[in-house]
Amino acid sequence: MNSMRLLSARHATYLAIGIALIGAAISVRALAADTDVSADKPTSMRISSSQYRRTISDIFGSSIVITARFESETRENGLLAIGALNNSVSEDGFERYDEIAKDVAAQVIDKNHRNILIPCKPKSATASDDVCAGKFLSTTGRLLYRRPLKKEEIQTLVGVSKDTADKKKDFYAGISTSLVDLLISPDFLFRYRTLEPDPAHPGRTRLDGYSKATILSSFLWNSNPDDLLLKAAESGSLQTDKGLAKQVDRMITSPEIASGVRAFFSDMLGLDQFDILSKDAKFFPRFTPDAKRDAPEQTLRTIVDHVVNRQGDYRDLFTTRRTFLTRALAALYGVPLVDATDNARPMRWLPYTYPDGDPRAGILSQASFVALYSGAGRTSPTVRGKNFRLNILCQVVPPPPPNIDFSLIQDISNPKFKTVRDRLTAHRTNPTCAGCHRLMDPVGLAFENFDSSGGFRTTENGAPIDTSGEWNGVKFSGPVELTKALHDDPAVTACVARKVFAFASGTMPPTNTAPWKDVQAKFASSNYNFLRLMREIAVSDLLYAVPETRLSALERK
Amino acid sequence: MPNKFHNLLFGSIWIALALCLNPVSAQAESRGYVIGWLATASYYTGDVKMGCPDGRNGGVVEMHARELEAIGFDKKEAVELQRKQRDTDAIVPAYRDKVYNRARVNGKEGSVFTYPDFTPDPNVELYSGKYAYGFDLTGTASPSKFEDPETHAPVDNQLWRAMGCINQYRTFPPQKPMLEDTSWDVFVDNAPAWTIQITGDDLSKDGKVTVTFGRATQHLLRDATSGTLRDATYIVDPASKTHEVLEGEIKGGVLTIKPQHIYLEGELPFYMDIELENGHMRINRQSDGKLIGYMGGFTDWKRYAYMSIARPFQDAAAIEGYHALKKMADADPDPSTGQNRKISATFRWEAVPAYLADGNGNIIAAPDDLVQPQTVANNSSR
Repeated sequence: MNSMRLLSARHATYLAIGIALIGAAISVRALAADTDVSADKPTSMRISSSQYRRTISDIFGSSIVITARFESETRENGLLAIGALNNSVSEDGFERYDEIAKDVAAQVIDKNHRNILIPCKPKSATASDDVCAGKFLSTTGRLLYRRPLKKEEIQTLVGVSKDTADKKKDFYAGISTSLVDLLISPDFLFRYRTLEPDPAHPGRTRLDGYSKATILSSFLWNSNPDDLLLKAAESGSLQTDKGLAKQVDRMITSPEIASGVRAFFSDMLGLDQFDILSKDAKFFPRFTPDAKRDAPEQTLRTIVDHVVNRQGDYRDLFTTRRTFLTRALAALYGVPLVDATDNARPMRWLPYTYPDGDPRAGILSQASFVALYSGAGRTSPTVRGKNFRLNILCQVVPPPPPNIDFSLIQDISNPKFKTVRDRLTAHRTNPTCAGCHRLMDPVGLAFENFDSSGGFRTTENGAPIDTSGEWNGVKFSGPVELTKALHDDPAVTACVARKVFAFASGTMPPTNTAPWKDVQAKFASSNYNFLRLMREIAVSDLLYAVPETRLSALERK
Repeated sequence: MPNKFHNLLFGSIWIALALCLNPVSAQAESRGYVIGWLATASYYTGDVKMGCPDGRNGGVVEMHARELEAIGFDKKEAVELQRKQRDTDAIVPAYRDKVYNRARVNGKEGSVFTYPDFTPDPNVELYSGKYAYGFDLTGTASPSKFEDPETHAPVDNQLWRAMGCINQYRTFPPQKPMLEDTSWDVFVDNAPAWTIQITGDDLSKDGKVTVTFGRATQHLLRDATSGTLRDATYIVDPASKTHEVLEGEIKGGVLTIKPQHIYLEGELPFYMDIELENGHMRINRQSDGKLIGYMGGFTDWKRYAYMSIARPFQDAAAIEGYHALKKMADADPDPSTGQNRKISATFRWEAVPAYLADGNGNIIAAPDDLVQPQTVANNSSR
């Protein structure tokens, strides 16, 4: 409760209101669940930290900097986007939102930004100006709340602004206070799904246009709706197939689509976990802070280049030799990278193509996978294999049973078992362990040429590393051949489609339905063009489906 | 450790990677490095009496006390000022002024750093041990020669005789003498790296090689331990003043060069340059692919001393070193005064494997061997 005392009384009240609103959202869900289990479709999703940053940048410009960290997010079923459904805000998390909001508001009203970001000049900088404040707050509030503000909401915000401005004799202080209120409001921090009667199906409900706009912008741009999208929601055109397709096509052909692609793959590959990744510097001195910072970015740049700029086959992400490197990453991988700029600082991203025959190809050979799913001092084929199945194939491997003896695996000094393959082979003689390890280990062992930091090696404890294995009956000699075998595995494309849908909606798709099979068929017929997959999901009714029982549940309330 | 690297000797471990290097000829192979460590070649085993039997130089406290006494303080006053200095762990203005302005120029106080020749010689104890790293620069027998602890050859290194009993220099790698240690850390983050390219027909065998010292257009990159990052790529500055092409030979696993002038442009606060007349060098490759080199010759003692006397507040030993170097200078007498202008000296350096590129972006040298972790830690979870 100490943190509560740090907040102003007004903010504390706001916090209480916020928690109450979140509780209300959850209670609606619970009510629906009481009525029908299938209707247990959450009505709100907390925006991710990257969406928060992106939205602030889109609305106020990239010069408004957020340096603080947000409360950690929850990963469920392999995605943060699914975890966001069940995310409420802790007291500490709200306090961080409050601090970040104050910091953002302070920057917006500072002398460098106020004349650009506030669309009117107050009559006096030392007094309140309700007209100007109202103009700014209603305009900005619409972009933050993803809907027009109600008259009473604007009045409240203008009133707060006036109180502060008069008290401090500073118009901009008033603006700042109200902007903070906007930024800590659940209407900004949560994406709500609002229902309205469906005129085409009397007695049933549908998402309103603003909810659809919010889903689209979050999915495709990792941000809030822009003015055009909100206008489409206001006009009702988003409720028509043609209007929806027009907006989806506009968004997919916009450069902003790269943000949505980055957000999806960052979530799918678990790249947020780099925040807590560490390596033993004694063993891996080339895993520098720069390399750690750049590793997830390398993968995202590779992906954006392949699926957005080149519109390549999604499956080729696992075999492509094209990537982007900084000098720090090049040193980690042991490849040359010439940066001809003076002093090469700050480090630049340069395109790089691995030569034929190089052991690295595809995003799974990058540090963002092999280093992320390794321990601080040594690799773990089991962890790599487990996350490969979860992230790439949507296959969940159950956790190990309790009381398992890991001493054989962890004893790296045993001369009988010099390599981790030797140790895992011995470990699998325990029938309790064998079942799951047979799923995880063979794939993980294929990547053993990449050490815990992502560097290349051919030996472990002086013994040569064997990276051979078999995938779906196809024998492979190492990671390059494995990823070639993966290329034609239908599980790879089926999984990414499911993940994209889950990222957009927070729930897994109904895979046995005709509409979903249609989405997958169109993905396949486009030669697995990832943007086409995004489009088909974005225009699919599945994404906006509402449980039919929802309205009756609301009416009962 | 791969078997091919079991031999630490230089010539037996160069591996012949099939690399297309331009403009190196197809038959030649070329390895790149950047210098990640450079300092005066100290020889110290940890025996505090070694080479300094009198032990009279003492540390900073003793040196300052003597300096104060030299300018008229009695012993009690000198000790009291020292106590204040020690207890406050900061420069006491009165003390600082007295010590640092003890030069006398026409009877007036002057900065010892500006007027070292007008400052009394503290007359520190000189190194009298048997060993010092170095090279035989004169080819003639002399009682002033040391014995090199590695080659056991008689060697000239009067710089070590001058500095070897000053505490800050009694270090052994990876520790550098104090001033070089602190200034190197600033230097590497703010100055272009020194590059080394070694080229030969077959670096796995004894034979002729070419060693080219140059300077990169980039600063040194650090690794996660704050050491030098291996396998990074540097562009060799085509316009640098540092461009020494040395004729070398690998013999018995050790690379040595034909003596010649060597010039490395540096930057303050490290050495503004390192210039060696009659420069000698020997290089050994380590099992992890790093190089350790010693380079010696006659260097301008004043320019060497400038690194320490150019630093107000560098504490004791600036003037002590200055006068010791001046006395021990053993070459290039000034025709008018007879004062020797150069002193025999040896520096030690370490270099890590790197890619080197020319100004057009062509890779001209590749790392000796890409790092392969030889062991694994056991501190991580399953």
